[in-house]
Amino acid sequence: MLYWLPFRGLRGKSLQFESFDDAYVERLRAGDFRTQEHFVAYFSDLIQIKLRSRLRSQEGIDDLRQETFTRVLTALQNGNILHPDRLGPYVNSICNHVLQEHYRAASRDGCVNPEDGQDPPDESADVFALLSAKQTGEKVRNVLDKLPERDRRLLREVFLEERDKDEVCRDFGVDRDYLRVLLYRAKQAFKSLYFNGIDNDPPAAALA
Amino acid sequence: MDHAEVVRQKLTEQYLLHELDSQQRDEFEEHFFDCRVCALDLRLASTFIEQSKSLLAEPTDTTAVAVRIPVPVETAGRFAWLRPALAVPALAFLLIIVAYQNLVTYPRLEQALNRPQILPWASLNTRTRGGSSPVITVPRGRSFLLFVNIPPDNLYARYIADLYNPAGKLEWSLTFPAASAQDQWPVQVPGADREAGTYTLAVRGVTATGESKEVGRTSLELQIQK
Repeated sequence: MLYWLPFRGLRGKSLQFESFDDAYVERLRAGDFRTQEHFVAYFSDLIQIKLRSRLRSQEGIDDLRQETFTRVLTALQNGNILHPDRLGPYVNSICNHVLQEHYRAASRDGCVNPEDGQDPPDESADVFALLSAKQTGEKVRNVLDKLPERDRRLLREVFLEERDKDEVCRDFGVDRDYLRVLLYRAKQAFKSLYFNGIDNDPPAAALA
Repeated sequence: MDHAEVVRQKLTEQYLLHELDSQQRDEFEEHFFDCRVCALDLRLASTFIEQSKSLLAEPTDTTAVAVRIPVPVETAGRFAWLRPALAVPALAFLLIIVAYQNLVTYPRLEQALNRPQILPWASLNTRTRGGSSPVITVPRGRSFLLFVNIPPDNLYARYIADLYNPAGKLEWSLTFPAASAQDQWPVQVPGADREAGTYTLAVRGVTATGESKEVGRTSLELQIQK
């Protein structure tokens, strides 16, 4: 099974493809630098997205992500990863355990909601802001520019101002399906622009 | 979780819009950690959202457009009343009105506001289904109090109460924080020219992640005192 290197890898080098199999896990265990770099880059993004829906502070997200990697790499060293082709779900399950422990610890500390009292998410520290530099921004701008003004305002209210989605939909006279489809179409347009900008690796290869 | 199902139901978008319940969310996460196509799709959508935030935060051209709006050229006919002969008496008349409001009208209103008063009220239980609606009788244009009972639930970070008039139109929304120690919220409904009938109060709980769910709905019968 092939896995696409995340956007971060686009900086200064072409796309790389890796297969989560026995050889990959063996290289990871042996401490191969490029494999470790790929592993961390690939799963950093997924863990970031997963934790962002649950934790408010970027610091908390970073801590839990680091703890997840530490445990997975320790399990690797101890030979506890028995199904290399299931490496992704394994990382997810470790992340779930780390998250549960975080909740329990916060609960013990007397905080009913583990996120109460913490800083709001630090959007400036978002990993995607680091990896999607100017070119990606231009492509997103291109997509946004082609949207009707109402749809731009809708996205602004939902994602930037983080207003209640039901209220926003009511204000704009649309339903939740409309919002979902709007995001889907914007994403498809962005995907098309994104892959058209990559010369040496056609999208078909990335998705094959 | 089947990949075709993920695509068909647009689960990537639902996930990023926080529309999935916790079980669906866990299942989708299990899936995208294993599925390279969905992982790529999710990254693209997430990148788009994050980039959009900074771009949508930029000021639009509306300010520039507003500046470019040409100022109408003054014509003698339309602005003739600005001549001192007319403008001075008009200004004096306006000053008299302002003085009367400041010296008479506003002090009276302030005095009325500072005086203690008993307001009509009703107690509403949001999680009680069926039964008769409480009746509240108010003079036209007067405000009244609602004691809204919401059983505490640690799931939610805040509540939003929506009041719908008898025609089903939203009158107002009120957001207030969830507090584990408080289950009754006094809400003062401002005076307005309301029609008599059945008003509905819907209460939604909003989690820390922004997920919203209706936690209760109740109604009250508003009667206008003649």
